[in-house]
Amino acid sequence: MHDYRSMVELLKEIQALEFGVYELALFLDTHPGDRRALEDHNRLVSRLNQLRKAFEDRYGPLRLDSESPYPYRYINDPWPWEIQY
Amino acid sequence: MWFYEKKLQYPANVRRCDLAMAKFLFAQYGGPDSELSAAVRYLTQRYTMPIPQAKALLTDIGTEEMAHWEIIGTLIYKLTEDATPEQLREAGLGDHFAQHDKALYPHDAAGVPWTAAYIQATGDPITDLHENLAAEQKARTTYEHLISLTDDDGVIATLSFLREREVVHFQRFGEALMQVQEHYQHKHIFC
Amino acid sequence: MTRAENMSKGYQGGMRLAEVYIPIQTYGETFDLKNALMYGTIFPELYRPYRPVHRNPQ
Ligand SMILES: [Fe+2]
Repeated sequence: MHDYRSMVELLKEIQALEFGVYELALFLDTHPGDRRALEDHNRLVSRLNQLRKAFEDRYGPLRLDSESPYPYRYINDPWPWEIQY
Repeated sequence: MWFYEKKLQYPANVRRCDLAMAKFLFAQYGGPDSELSAAVRYLTQRYTMPIPQAKALLTDIGTEEMAHWEIIGTLIYKLTEDATPEQLREAGLGDHFAQHDKALYPHDAAGVPWTAAYIQATGDPITDLHENLAAEQKARTTYEHLISLTDDDGVIATLSFLREREVVHFQRFGEALMQVQEHYQHKHIFC
Repeated sequence: MTRAENMSKGYQGGMRLAEVYIPIQTYGETFDLKNALMYGTIFPELYRPYRPVHRNPQ
C-alpha cells in the first residue's frame, strides 16, 4: 500500500513534466524558430527521460519498447483507468 | 505510427459512483463534439495540410485528443464501476446495459452511436482549419455544460483541465490558419 | 499602395476582408509544472478558467 502511494506520486510527477513537454511541443509546431521555447522544451525532455527511467526501473515498463525484467512486466495491473490518483 | 504510454495525461479521480453523470459524460466520449470526433477529425485532415507547421500540429493535437478520449473513458469507468443493473436502469442507462453491459461503447449522452458524419475533411486546408476552430469551441461549451451538471470535485477538476485544453488548441489552430493563409498569399503573388 | 488601391484589393487597416486573424502568441513566463497540469495550460496568458454561473446556491 505504501509502495502504491509512492508509485502514484511518481506517476503524477511524470504527468506534470510530460504535460509541460507536450504543451511546449504544440507551441513549437507553430513557432519552430522560437529558441527560448525550444531550450525549455529540450530541458524538460531530458528531465522527463530521467524520471521515466526511474519509474520504469521500480514499477515496470510504461511502453512496450521499454526493457522489462522477467516475466514481462508491461502487462501488470494497475492500468491507467484503474488507478486512484 | 504510435506507441501507447501506460499512463493518463491527467490524474482523473471521481469521489463516488454517479451514474447520471456517467450518462452525461458520454457526450464527450461518443457525441458529435466528443474527443473521439476531435481525434479522428484532425488525424484525417492532416494529410492534406500544405505546410509543415500544420501537418505537425494536426498530428500532435489529434494524438492529444486520443489521450483525452481515454480520460473521459476513465471517468465513465470509475463512475459506473460499482453499479448494479438495477441502479443503471434507474439512472437511464438500462438501454446501455442491455446492449453493452458496462462496456465503453462510443455513443452520445442519449445513446446515439458515434458516426464519421460528425466530422468533415474537405481537402481545403483553410476550410478544415475553420472547422477545427469551431470544433474546439463546441467542445469547450460542452465541457461547461458538463461542469454545471456535477458537484464532484474530482470530475470538475478533470473537466476543467479538458476544457482549458480546448482554449489552447483554439489558439494553435488559429496560428496555423494564419500561417496557411500567408502561405497561399505568397503562392498567388509569385505565380 | 494608396488607400484606394488597398480598398480595391479588399484590405482595410492592413487586414484583408473576409479573412480570420488571430494574434500569434509570443513566448513569455510559464506556470510551474504542477500548477500547469492543474490549470490545463503552461501559459498564464491562455488560462481562462470557467466559473459556472447558474448552479443552485447551496
Ligand atoms: Fe481539443
